[in-house]
Order: sequence, then structure tokens, then C-alpha cells
Amino acid sequence: MMRRVAALAALLCAVAATSGCSTIGVKPWQRDLLAKPEMQLDADPLDAAIDEHVYFSKEASSGGRGFGGGGCGCN
Amino acid sequence: MTFAKFAAVCAALIVCASARGDTTFDLASYAGKVIYLDFWASWCAPCRQSFPWMDSVQREYMSKGLVVVGVNVDQERALAETFLKQMSPHFRIVFDPKGALAETYKVSGMPASFIIDRHGTVRFHHLGFRDDAKPRLDAELNTVLAEK
Amino acid sequence: MQLKKPGSVPTALMAASCALLGASTAKADDSYESDDWQVDSALLYYKEDQQRVQAIEPVVSLKRDFGDDRSLGVKLTYDSLSGGSPNGALPSHSPQTFATPSGASLQAPSGEPQTYTTSSGRVVALLEKVTLYTTEPGQLPLDPNFHDQRVAFSTSWQQRLGEQMRLSVGGDLSHEQDFMSAGLNAALARDFNNKNTTLSFGTNLEADAIRPIGGAPVGGTDYTQLQKGGNESKTVGGVLFGVTQVLSRRWLAQLNYSYDASHGYQTDPYKLLSVIDAGGNAVGYRFENRPDNRTRQSVFLENKLALGRDVLDLSLRHMKDNWGIKSQTADLRYRLELGNAMYIEPHARYYKQNAASFYNLYLNAADPAPDVMSADPRLGAFDAMTYGLKLGMTLADKSEVSIRLEQYRQNARDVPAAFGQLQGLDLNPGLKSFIFQVGWRFSF
Repeated sequence: MMRRVAALAALLCAVAATSGCSTIGVKPWQRDLLAKPEMQLDADPLDAAIDEHVYFSKEASSGGRGFGGGGCGCN
Repeated sequence: MTFAKFAAVCAALIVCASARGDTTFDLASYAGKVIYLDFWASWCAPCRQSFPWMDSVQREYMSKGLVVVGVNVDQERALAETFLKQMSPHFRIVFDPKGALAETYKVSGMPASFIIDRHGTVRFHHLGFRDDAKPRLDAELNTVLAEK
Repeated sequence: MQLKKPGSVPTALMAASCALLGASTAKADDSYESDDWQVDSALLYYKEDQQRVQAIEPVVSLKRDFGDDRSLGVKLTYDSLSGGSPNGALPSHSPQTFATPSGASLQAPSGEPQTYTTSSGRVVALLEKVTLYTTEPGQLPLDPNFHDQRVAFSTSWQQRLGEQMRLSVGGDLSHEQDFMSAGLNAALARDFNNKNTTLSFGTNLEADAIRPIGGAPVGGTDYTQLQKGGNESKTVGGVLFGVTQVLSRRWLAQLNYSYDASHGYQTDPYKLLSVIDAGGNAVGYRFENRPDNRTRQSVFLENKLALGRDVLDLSLRHMKDNWGIKSQTADLRYRLELGNAMYIEPHARYYKQNAASFYNLYLNAADPAPDVMSADPRLGAFDAMTYGLKLGMTLADKSEVSIRLEQYRQNARDVPAAFGQLQGLDLNPGLKSFIFQVGWRFSF
């Protein structure tokens, strides 16, 4: 199962990076909602860290979250 | 130039940022002027740094025929108004909520600025706004303003 | 772009309405200054039922923006833990007596401390000066001496590398009485398609020093012998690959694949397993013993949707490791804006995991002791649900205060039936706890 997911992710990356995928996404001037602080993937970092610490102590899984992307796309 | 004349010239060129702000930008009406066309939005953080600079540049080069035009692409006018109230710009504001003008100029990042010469040709094009870009922008403006 | 049109004198567009503006020397509103510092703080109170773990944890995080997308962040966490933690033994109808982990050594009748050589040739000392605690009949055995203080510090630096790439590097340190950790992390993110697509890669490395109170027990041995050794260590390394994609003006999604490997001492030095005979009597206890390596893979998908002024956040995670554990997590949050300065955010989380291959609720006296074994509920099969509510308010000075309350409930699955002397006992009661948190965020 992991292999299939990894292959899918790799395919998505390749498609996104090379073919341009210009039909998926928005124009640079249409990022008003994506720029909102509450629309960021790391909108509440302390809550996320606290939850992560609690669940890490009580369950066998942890992590998964990443870095980068979304936002206003400025500069 | 007396202050009164100065004010009159400015008044002739500046449109104030209000609900009755312009929604059209007719390049033809600026023939003979150098235009600094800037696409901005209330949600664009670097735009806050660019406004004071655009104000000072408008003031400094107005007599040489520079017109700064700030094109707003906010989809919610109220947010743009709040931003304008805070920044109180002294240059022309155009509202482009549907992004038609942005599309025409193929804006590929925010903020985006275009230096257009007296004949309507885009000479320089910039994406983003950074402090260290100011000297270069000044130099480019001077180059284009010096031309006939 | 070229537009050649016949010249015309610019008309005094709306000159009248703007004569005032043009002539005035009113300065721009420079009371708006960009805030360079951002402070995010929270105080957490965590409490489990049945006199189990309690924790108070203040956290402060500072971020300094240097402009041009460069920023430095530091975070300080202090954690005070108290209460009791299950030691892995089963409840019983009779009282049970255990030694606290600080048990130093057992004195032989001769008065001399005895030593013992393990099969791998390691010489460990047998212990003396044992302190004991007794669990009442019917109670889940809890080690009541579970108090500790933890201090953790982390820092990170973010900057741009060229127009489309960002870099983040960071380190963290953590210290508590019996555990110290130091780690480094780095990540790169590259934008494509007008920043609609972002590919990211992250890596982290961590070294842990484990210094169990009273020494690390020799894994799997008879608990009553209290055969203890010294300190232990482990190292952890991980990588993460991610794709973030803007799917529409309202929808952002991120898909991550991560892999991590941990090598070294993975055992919980304070946990035991009960040895139960055919009649359900506890005839002994053994220290647990876990494999010395663990590799994990997980796939994580997060979606953020802007619905009107509200935001919906839905994330899913699937994890699989080489201990035989598979887990699924589904997390849903809905941020509902109330007016201009307040929001309420209900939260629900579902979690499910199956047991590790070496997990056993107890050991059978008739069977030989396995190599690796653990009765730690963390490694067992269970479902867990979290329900929570967060309320946030923006104050006049633009700072934000928030209050959050969450209830967590863990229900064990596949619990073997209680037989013989175990009848009438709840062999795996699961866990109930709540989180109460207040937060304050401001910039200056």
C-alpha cells in the first residue's frame, strides 16, 4: 500500500513540476483567501505542537505535517 | 513653481482613493507621461512597504511627468478601503476586482509593477517589492523619464 | 507590451474632489508600522482520570521578522508532570506490591551487593534499598512516582534561496530527569506554477540519552530480581517529502510522505508485564523489552477550505511501522467566524491503531518468556476519539486570546476475556483525559 501511495505522490510531483499543471491553481491576484492567516497550513503552531506532544505520549503514531506552500505567494 | 501651481498640477493628476474610484485604466490618456503601474492588494504584505515609496516617488518625479497608478485586485472592496485609509496614498488608485487589467498585463506575481514609457511601451517589469530594489527602480525611472 | 495611441492631454480627472487631497500636506497614516516581533504563548493543563497523569505546561514562542522573508523563531516549553502512570501490570483481586523505579540495589543475605552477567556479557549490579508501593485490589497498578519536570528549547531560521525556494533550519534541546534529547532539522521548499505548487523536502536527526532512575533494567528479566544496568541511548533520523497544491481560490491541500528510523533503546524502563497462570493468578512480573530498532512510514493529507469567512480543516494520516502497528487518523476542525473579532472552532478527531506484534496484555506462566514483549497500552489495539472546542477573540490592541477545551477518550480493542481469578476485573480500562488551554498571541 505504501508503495502505491509513494508512486502516486511521485507522479503528482512529476506532473506538477514538469507539465505546468497550469489549469490547476489560481492567478497570482486571486490569492486573497489563501493569504488569510487562518488559511495557512501552520495557522496555530502552538496548538499543533501541544496536540502532537499529547498524542505522541498516548499513542504509537506521531508527526506527518510538512513545510511550505499556500499563502499569498507574494515576493 | 509656487505651491498653488504645484497643488493644481497634482490635483489634475491624482485620483483620490474613494468608493468613487476609477475602475478603468486607459493607457491612451497617459500619452507623454511615464507610468509606474503597480498591482497591489490589501492581503499582500510587501505592498505595505511599497506604498510609502510610491508616494515619495510620485512626489519627487511628478514635475518630470511621472504618474504612479496603483491597481487594486482585492475581491472585497471593503478590505481595500481599509488598507487605503491606513496608507493614505497620494497617487492614483484604480480598482480591478475581476482581474481584467491584471490578466491583460499577465501579472505573474504579487505585487507586480510595470514602468511604461511616454509612448506606452512597457520598459521594465518587476515582481515583488523589496527594500534593496529601490535604488534600481529609481535608476530605471530616471532612465525612462529622461527620454522624450 | 506596446500600446501606441495618439497623444491627448490628460484630463483633470476628478480634480475637484481631489483638490483638497492634492493640496493638503496631510501625511500618510504612519501609525501603521509593520510589526517585527510576534509572540505566541499558551498554558496547558492536561489531566487524566483515575488519579493518572496530570501536566501543566506553559509554552512561549517568539518570532522575529527581518524582512525579505527571513525570520528567526525560538520556543521555550516547560512541562511539569505528576500523578501516576500505569506500570503495565494487570489489576488483581489481591493487593500487589511493586518497587519504585528508583530501587537502587538488592542486598544479598551475605551483605554484599551482587552482580549478574547478561548473555551478551554485560555486568549489571543487583540492587539494594528498594522503596515499595502497593496497589489496592481491583485497581489498575499505577506507579505513583511519575513526577518529572521537562524543559525544552527549539529554534529555527527561515530564509529565501532565490526567487522560488525557501530554506528552514532548526535545532531543539529537551531535558528531563531521566531523558535528554538534542535534534537538528532542515527543510527546503520549491515553488512551481506561479506558486500554485510547492514541493518540499525535510530531514531531521535526533540523539537521545536515556538515564532511567535506578538504572535501565535488563530487558525481559524477572522483575523481582531488579537486575539493573546503567544508561541507554537512541538515535532517530527521518525524511519527509511533500507536495502542496492550490486547488482553487478556496482550497489548499498538502500531501506528505515521511519515513523515520529509530535505533537504540526503545524500551520503557519502568514498565512490566504480569505473568498469569491458568487460574488467572499473578505469579510474577517481567520487565518489558522492545526491539532496538523501529522504522515508520506515514502518509498525511491535509485540506484547508475557505467557506465564506469560515475555514474547514480536514486531515488524514495513515501510518505503518515494522513493529506491526498500523494506524489511521482523521482530524476535522471548523473555524466559524462570529462577527469581526471572535471565532469558535469545534474539533473532532478519530484515531485507530492495532497492536504491535510483541504487545501482550499479560504473559502466560506456561509459555517461555518471549524475547520482546510489552503491555504498554500505547502499543495496544485501541480506538480514540477527541472532541474539542476553541474560542478565540481579537482584542482592541489587536492581540488574540483563546481558550480551548478538548476531551480525549481511548477505548481498548481485542481485550482478552477475564478468566479465573481475573474475573470481575477491568483488564484494560483505556484512558480518559481532557486538555484545557489558554492562549495569547500578539505582535509588536
